[in-house]
Amino acid sequence: MANIFPRWTNHLPIKIVFCLLVLSCAASAAYWYYLTPEYMRVGYQPVQPVPFSHDIHVTQLGMDCRYCHSYVEISSHSNVPTTQTCMNCHTQIQSTNPKLEAVRESWQTGQPVNWVKIHQVPDFAYFNHSVHVNRGISCVSCHGQVNHMDVVFQQESQTMGWCLNCHRHPENNLRPINQVFNLDWKPGNQESQQQIGLELKEKWNIDPPQNCSGCHR
Amino acid sequence: MKTVFRHPPEDLTGKRYWRSLEELADTPEFRSWLQREFPAGAADLELDGVSRRNFLRLMGASMALAGIGLSGCRRPEAYIAPYTKSVEWLVPGKAVLYTTSMPGPKGGVPLIATTFEGRPTKLEGNPLVPSSNGGTDLFAQASVLDLYDPGRARTFIRDGEEAGAQQFDVYLASVAKDLEAGKGAGFAILMEEQVSPTRDRFLRKLKERFPESGLYTYNPLGFEEHDLAVAALFGPDIALRADFEAADIIVSLDSDFLGIEQTVQSVRDFSRRRRVHGLGQDMNRLYAVENRYTITGGMADHRLRCAASQIPAFAVKLAKEVAASTNDRVLNAVVAQLKDGGTPFDEVWIKECAADLVARKGKSLVLLGDRFPAWVHGVVLAMNNALGAFGSTLRVLSVPRVKTSSFRDLVADTKARAIKRLFIFGGNPVYAAPADFEWGELQRAIPEVVRLGYSFDETSSPSKWHVPEAHYLESWGDQRAPDGTYLPIQPMILPLFGGLSQLDLLAKLAGLPADVEAIRETFKTFNQESDFESAWTRFLRQGFAESSSYQAAKVEFNPNALPDLLKTAGPPPGPVSPGAIEIVFPADYKIYDGRYANNGWLQELPDPITKITWDNAISLSKSTAKALQLEDGDLVEIGVNGRKLQAAVMIAPGHADYSLSLPLGYGRWVVGKVGQGIGFNAYALRTSDSPYFATGATVNLVQKNGHRLVQTQNHYSMEGRALVREATVDEFKRNPAFAKTVWMDAEIPPNVSLYSHPPLNAPNQWGMVVDLNTCIGCAACVIACQAENNIPIVGKDQVDRGREMHWIRVDRYFASAGGDKNNPHLEEDPEMVMEPMMCQHCENAPCETVCPVNATVHSEDGLNVMVYNRCIGTRYCSNNCPFKVRRFNFFSYNDRPVMDRIEKGLPGFQGKQQLYLGPLAPWGMDELSKMQKNPNVSVRIRGVMEKCTYCLQRIETAKVSQRVKAGVKGDLSLPTDSVKTACQQACPAEAIIFGDIKDPKSRVSQLRTLPQNYHLLEYLNIQTRTTYLARIRNPNPKMPGAARVGNINVDEHGDQRHSAPRAESEMDGGNA
Repeated sequence: MANIFPRWTNHLPIKIVFCLLVLSCAASAAYWYYLTPEYMRVGYQPVQPVPFSHDIHVTQLGMDCRYCHSYVEISSHSNVPTTQTCMNCHTQIQSTNPKLEAVRESWQTGQPVNWVKIHQVPDFAYFNHSVHVNRGISCVSCHGQVNHMDVVFQQESQTMGWCLNCHRHPENNLRPINQVFNLDWKPGNQESQQQIGLELKEKWNIDPPQNCSGCHR
Repeated sequence: MKTVFRHPPEDLTGKRYWRSLEELADTPEFRSWLQREFPAGAADLELDGVSRRNFLRLMGASMALAGIGLSGCRRPEAYIAPYTKSVEWLVPGKAVLYTTSMPGPKGGVPLIATTFEGRPTKLEGNPLVPSSNGGTDLFAQASVLDLYDPGRARTFIRDGEEAGAQQFDVYLASVAKDLEAGKGAGFAILMEEQVSPTRDRFLRKLKERFPESGLYTYNPLGFEEHDLAVAALFGPDIALRADFEAADIIVSLDSDFLGIEQTVQSVRDFSRRRRVHGLGQDMNRLYAVENRYTITGGMADHRLRCAASQIPAFAVKLAKEVAASTNDRVLNAVVAQLKDGGTPFDEVWIKECAADLVARKGKSLVLLGDRFPAWVHGVVLAMNNALGAFGSTLRVLSVPRVKTSSFRDLVADTKARAIKRLFIFGGNPVYAAPADFEWGELQRAIPEVVRLGYSFDETSSPSKWHVPEAHYLESWGDQRAPDGTYLPIQPMILPLFGGLSQLDLLAKLAGLPADVEAIRETFKTFNQESDFESAWTRFLRQGFAESSSYQAAKVEFNPNALPDLLKTAGPPPGPVSPGAIEIVFPADYKIYDGRYANNGWLQELPDPITKITWDNAISLSKSTAKALQLEDGDLVEIGVNGRKLQAAVMIAPGHADYSLSLPLGYGRWVVGKVGQGIGFNAYALRTSDSPYFATGATVNLVQKNGHRLVQTQNHYSMEGRALVREATVDEFKRNPAFAKTVWMDAEIPPNVSLYSHPPLNAPNQWGMVVDLNTCIGCAACVIACQAENNIPIVGKDQVDRGREMHWIRVDRYFASAGGDKNNPHLEEDPEMVMEPMMCQHCENAPCETVCPVNATVHSEDGLNVMVYNRCIGTRYCSNNCPFKVRRFNFFSYNDRPVMDRIEKGLPGFQGKQQLYLGPLAPWGMDELSKMQKNPNVSVRIRGVMEKCTYCLQRIETAKVSQRVKAGVKGDLSLPTDSVKTACQQACPAEAIIFGDIKDPKSRVSQLRTLPQNYHLLEYLNIQTRTTYLARIRNPNPKMPGAARVGNINVDEHGDQRHSAPRAESEMDGGNA
């Protein structure tokens, strides 16, 4: 019988296997790089219905986070301000500025302003803001330098692994309680954060849950 | 590597292309010209400083919104929509609690409602009210679902067409004019029974203004007969309330005071005397005489099966014995006046029972079911008088009420054409009226009927107007608790569909201010303080008015009316036999009188005794079934009182012979999706002279196995495993730790585990104790858990496949000694025990080791934790669970249509639930149903395992609150007994106790040290965190059959138990 397959097909299997290996590695690498939250979510900066600038309100005007996010110290949910909160000032300040048209319309019609949600914890996980801000974790640890953002974007990946990282080593993020809402606070240097953190962890009996039951109900 | 995604900046240096010198020069004129050049949408862009950059960004954003571009790979956009006007007291994410109460015919149930963002999601009892311990009945727990019932009435309907609220106002104005003119002639109101001071005040005002109008009340499960007897023997405006805490001996003659006739107080007080935390010295004793097993019968120490039609004769026999022992003149006269029907009873039983009653004179009590004829109540009241019960175990209270006429009077008045205009408030007379009145026809004959109803039902169809009623969670009102405490009804939310409450409508008719003003006015009569406003605020905040319970009446038992009352007794019915069968119409444990037919939770809840879901059935005893040649599931036709009904049959242990019971409340024909086509309508057989039972029924088989009855537990035994352990008080005294040496626990030495123990080093260690001695099996815990944890209903077909989703269930077992030649029917006279079963949170959990993806883990504080998002649905954990408490989501019951069926399509799929369409079924929860869901608990989807979590959300909330409170201080310890699970909070008998077993002060720690505490299946070395307190019964050694009481633990050898052997005469088979 003549040879059914030409000679060059002898190398084909190994070439196919090698190709598949390379392709799967590339696919995994691409997936790992591009399709995980660290790439997908970080930098998410959707267009909001109102061009609200945290930089103007917090850094320039010196407003405290809690003026608008009023329930962050008592509730699980850190609320976005109601239209009434905005209008507290904006009935008098910039009262005809076209950038605030959506807010004024909301105030008139009673329809809420539809802010686009940037930081989304999935429905099956439960995060509580009050227990973090009351125990020495600042807004900046999870939300980035919001006080300098003109348009808010997601700075941290907020994956479960990222959360656990801090839960296992809370000293990396603990700060004196009166500095929680001072987003510009920096410890002396890297060494100092650890020192401060460990001291506070000891003093305040910081014991974050590391078990699934802490967040998954 | 993190890349911050931004649109690239405009390149302003380097090579540029220009079309004109202006562009090159970049003059302002050019810029403005550029702007005007932009196409559609230019209006949006007429903002300062718009540039190509902004335009691109906006266009890019809108493309992103359309799903094109990189955002297509991202999660879909979500929005945060805050309120426009800030709402006072509302903190998103935090619950606000308000007190209120649930109206009921015997009085209100005090409640605390948990509301999230203005919507009530869960109801609890109000422990601040003196007569409550914070428990509720299952109707109160389920009523929150009724608020969000998609089948509730949403519009005003006139003559079958939608009308508006304004049109109804116009109509009401014309009614008011007519009333003024005619002083109310021809006008009548038919109401449900309620104990509401404001309603009474309005009715009095109405009667004052329109003296010719008629006021009628109808309660299908009414206690008019009882009230008649009380009025005759004590006087008007008197009510009797049993004091179960004072009673040592209680005899219940078909009085289901722990079941359908329960109040939170009756269960609480009974449980206080039932609980054995010492040596059982002051444990009470309960005798029950009934025709079918009831919750009360399950708690009884001695139970006698007796046909309902024979219970009056039984009462007379018992009275005879009591009269003989006490030499009470009045009682002797009573007994002499009544004739003996000749029915044979167990004479020894009656004699010893009477002796026990008399021995504890002043601390004993005889109770009779509400719906027996008035003369029997007279006999029982005379008996209580002879036993010195009045003033000690039976309190005589002064209860002023507005006098209303009965339904019988309404029927007579309607027939006499005296009613021109009838307002019906609540109830459902067309469905629930006695069949011989033929009320449906009569109502149609009335010229104008206005029906105020919660849903469009049988009574609404023939009415001119249907006015949507507001739920009690949406209205202002008030109630009095059964002991008289004045309770508010506060609205949690504005009426969702613009409904009116009874008080609203009455206020409009009577011309009085409604809403909160009306309640404030009534509160003035209860207020005893000088500062009204602060008293009013406190009243609403704590949920009751102080010192407002009924006062003891200054009247004595007056036997003079007895002879006349007893004359109303007809000739006694003969004994039941195969030719003379009786049928009894008890209220249903879940649907009550039919009002909850569209409540999915209650339909799916297994009946506490029969464990039937989504159905009712005729219960009968095994002997009766044999005589009539019937089996489970047979379809029969019952004929009684000249009426016929087809219904399914079920053999029920412990049922009296030649007696049938068919619960009321089913077979409704105008009802929402949930209640459609369910069960058999017992009201069709019930006539006005047989409100509770009817004799002379005939039974004919229509179809063998003609109806599929779906039960969650159709086996009655523990299959040889000693799950429920019980003993008598004497055995307990002899061997307090008897429960620890029953069955396998007596033989197997302590085990050593091959697996390493998970580290249990948290400061709190959670555990639970279930007291089988006080658990009555009412299943309030099951509904509470369902409300708290977003547990869906699955529908009858799925329950048939064993897929019901209840995280806690109440297992019901029967126990009987084998029969001997003297007592061949012993197995028909079993005892009943209830055992609530939920995840035991085993320290060495068999489920944790077999999960391939580690979706179920153990937490450091002792909980077996279930992580829903990790679960892939292998179901190995459920396979390994020895208690079968893990529930699997076979379909997304919360998000897919459970009640809808496939109309047409693939053969073999027609008629099945739409769930079987899988991904092709419509997705999404009804907007109204979403509102009930607890936001603190995940809503699970298909393919995921779930189970009791020891209310992890409550534990975490407590831990978080403590940490927030601690702030920078280190004290993270939770206050003792501060966390209550939903089941614990709902239980009126306080049978479930949860807490920190590491804290020696907590109640659960103390209960775990009791000698009768035991683990289930301890020999498996799973080390359950939930333990049980064994059942202890208190039999009277002189009673026949006393040796058989406390019998349930038969081990695999067939002997009684391994503990201290009992004397020969006490072994089973002995007939004392």
